[in-house]
Amino acid sequence: MKEDLMDIICCPLDKHDLDLEVDERDDEEVLAGSLVCTECGESYPIEDGIPNLLPPDMREDAPA
Amino acid sequence: MDGQDCCGDVDIDVTDDGGCCDGNADATGSERLGYDADDVASVADGADLGLGCGNPKAFADMTPGETVLDLGSGAGFDCFLAAQEVSPDGDVIGVDMTPEMVSKARENVTENDADNVEFRLGEISHLPVADATVDVVISNCVVNLAPEKQRVFDDAYRVLKPGGRVAISDVVQTAPFPDDVKMDPDSLTNCVAGASTVDALKAMLDSAGFEAIEIEPEDESTEFINDWDADRDLGDYLVSATIEAQRPPRDV
Repeated sequence: MKEDLMDIICCPLDKHDLDLEVDERDDEEVLAGSLVCTECGESYPIEDGIPNLLPPDMREDAPA
Repeated sequence: MDGQDCCGDVDIDVTDDGGCCDGNADATGSERLGYDADDVASVADGADLGLGCGNPKAFADMTPGETVLDLGSGAGFDCFLAAQEVSPDGDVIGVDMTPEMVSKARENVTENDADNVEFRLGEISHLPVADATVDVVISNCVVNLAPEKQRVFDDAYRVLKPGGRVAISDVVQTAPFPDDVKMDPDSLTNCVAGASTVDALKAMLDSAGFEAIEIEPEDESTEFINDWDADRDLGDYLVSATIEAQRPPRDV
């Protein structure tokens, strides 16, 4: 996930901004980390460079 | 739980006899959907799964610098075509609820050298996209799979900038479904039983706040739609359509 698109994404539930927490990055993008809603506190994982912004009840808990 | 999960938790089944979720990515198949040979040739192999029912690029009138959102982006074919239209300064965001599809699409970013395309896991009636940030919402044979279509259109309206537009290819219902179609559990995931009528779609778009709503059935699409099912002529009650609407330039 590229950081310059941060201002386009939001929490799928309440549509508030997300804070980015980076665990791993390369030159171009964030590979692992999380996106945390500034309003409801829900945390959305970034895995393999893909932000998982599915509503929490649709998220698969088991790793693919 | 995943009633709209068309292509779901399986790899694309190319052995079945058709339907929007069965890959049919040969050039002839995609050209029947409305892509020209240049479109197909311009995207690296692997992104075109032949799962659509039209070509949103053909009527979305995308211009350089625009931000595009693709609802149900699959392996990314329509996103990569859109990226060519909006480059160099535009961005394309693909949202899909299927982890396998998003992973595949992300691999295709490298193949297509498309650094202005991003994919994220998300659900089209709960879009993870900020208000008034998008110029064009495109989608190809996906909205019919959504159980809550009104929410999809409401959320599309929310993310569009004032004056922004939707350009969606999808199937619409033209006649009542026979009972055997309604009872067939595969019929929803195969992009048949979830289709709405033109009038129902217009009402939902109107309710969301859209104007300049135009839904045009593509009569010639019955040919490929009939091929989706070996046992039935689905074209008797299903047709592919172009769905266009605009968010008013200023909120009233």
